[in-house]
Amino acid sequence: MLQFAAIILLMLGLYGLLTQRNVIKIIISLNILEIGLNLFIISVGYFEGGLAPIFTSETPANPNFVDPLPQALVLTAIVIGVGTTALGLALARKIYQKYGTLNLDEMGEN
Amino acid sequence: MSAILLIAVPLLAAFISILVKKVSPYLLLLVSLFALVYPFFMDMSDVIIGGFDSPIGINLVVNKFALTSLIAVNGLFFLVVAVNIAQYKKLSSILLVALAGLNGLLLTGDLFNLFVFIEISGIAAYLITTTNKKPLQTFNYLVAGTVGSSLYLLGLIILYNMSGTLNMADMATFVEGNGMYTLFPFLLMFIGLGVEAKLLPFNSWVKGILGHSNNLSGAMIASVYATAIALVFGKLLAGVFQIEGTLALIIALVLGITILAGEAMAYASTKAREILLYSSIAQAGIVILLFTVGLGAWATFFAIANGVSKFILFGVVNRLTEEVGSDEMDQLKGSFVNNKLIGVSFTVAALSILGLPLFFGFVVKMNSLIGFFEPDFVSNLPGGNFIFPIIILVASVIEGVYFVKLLTKLWYKDSDVKVNFTPLFKYVVVVLAVALIVFGLFQGEVEELVASLINPGGVFIWN
Repeated sequence: MLQFAAIILLMLGLYGLLTQRNVIKIIISLNILEIGLNLFIISVGYFEGGLAPIFTSETPANPNFVDPLPQALVLTAIVIGVGTTALGLALARKIYQKYGTLNLDEMGEN
Repeated sequence: MSAILLIAVPLLAAFISILVKKVSPYLLLLVSLFALVYPFFMDMSDVIIGGFDSPIGINLVVNKFALTSLIAVNGLFFLVVAVNIAQYKKLSSILLVALAGLNGLLLTGDLFNLFVFIEISGIAAYLITTTNKKPLQTFNYLVAGTVGSSLYLLGLIILYNMSGTLNMADMATFVEGNGMYTLFPFLLMFIGLGVEAKLLPFNSWVKGILGHSNNLSGAMIASVYATAIALVFGKLLAGVFQIEGTLALIIALVLGITILAGEAMAYASTKAREILLYSSIAQAGIVILLFTVGLGAWATFFAIANGVSKFILFGVVNRLTEEVGSDEMDQLKGSFVNNKLIGVSFTVAALSILGLPLFFGFVVKMNSLIGFFEPDFVSNLPGGNFIFPIIILVASVIEGVYFVKLLTKLWYKDSDVKVNFTPLFKYVVVVLAVALIVFGLFQGEVEELVASLINPGGVFIWN
């Protein structure tokens, strides 16, 4: 099920990127796409009833851990996504300063 | 001494350079010189990170291919920085991050790690292109690049789910037995990397970025980044991807159209920078084509020769544009009459891309084409052994037309265009042009270098 949610978010993000003409909305679409992707990565390692992959004194003898690697990967992907978003917003500010609008259609160049 | 220093030292220097802003340009010069010299002295053995042996841990692959590409990319990087740093002191920290990212790209043997380095070098590239003062175009580049790397990651995760590994060599063995199932993830990864490598349907950002490039960003993106990305993409296509069936057809179409459309658009352009940027799209297509069909060793040198030429071409044209205020060919008419040395070097670089004898470009182009007709060559792309050599030759003819057009304009006799080049820039450009001629004359030595990239079984070494 988790995968379906992830794919729907991915597609929503892609749809937003293709249809939106506002710079901020494009950045939001990019974020939705990234969230969908991150959810997809997590879903790869997850299974029903799996434990968090942490060894404690209460861990049973044959623990049923979920795959920890996708979780590590998603952490990296999130950080990168934040960096890209910050840069995108900084560029959006520059675009607004230069053109006085955030709408791509009103800028007169592409 | 371990190869990891090539990534660690620039990153450390990037942090330090934020603290001590005044010395950061010198730090950048020092570190990029270090990155150029260090590959000659490092141990030729793979690096294991964190004590986990590959395929479980991340590893850095150090071999002849990595060494060749490191020397070429870091050499070009150092020259770009040395020539331009006085003008762009503020970018020192970003350029150090870019250096770390590029070295990581060339060294890593892990597919997820590759994604991280693509993003690091990508973010540095977006920041470098902000110096164009065209925020909208940079924004387009950012969106295209981010979507591309997201698609790459999506494909990679699907592959991970199937194979349980992220290591390139391990992945290659898995793919060999399961070619059919890997078609979709490979297509996603191909599109993702195609964005950065400027392949045709995914390269809408190129015109905005290189068409408005300045001294730094033009040479950086068209020469250094293009070489690095082409080599990495090629490494994956030659080593990891299993190209067959539908995927082969799609890749063949994308590459064929990239080459021909790139050349056609260059032919139709009247602006000097646009001619060069469309030409570099076509060149990227040719390099990736050569990697795909298994002529990886020559493709490596094709990419390097192209990178050196593009450094000269973009460097000179951007400097002319800065002084003249326009990059229309008619405005630049006769720029070389007063700058004969620069003009000759520019001509050498253009003719080398074109593939005229005497120059490095000829050696690589001819040998790549000969590779198609070797008796044991089997094309894995539809179209067999003939269509792609024909495409490359047709592309060369079109290149010939527009480069000669460009050169005759720039050498036009009566002109009052006066452009001053700094002595350092002149020196670097002339040295690179001489290098193109030297490599072109000593064909035997180049062939030996290329042969060292091929193992006794005749297979291109990539891991």
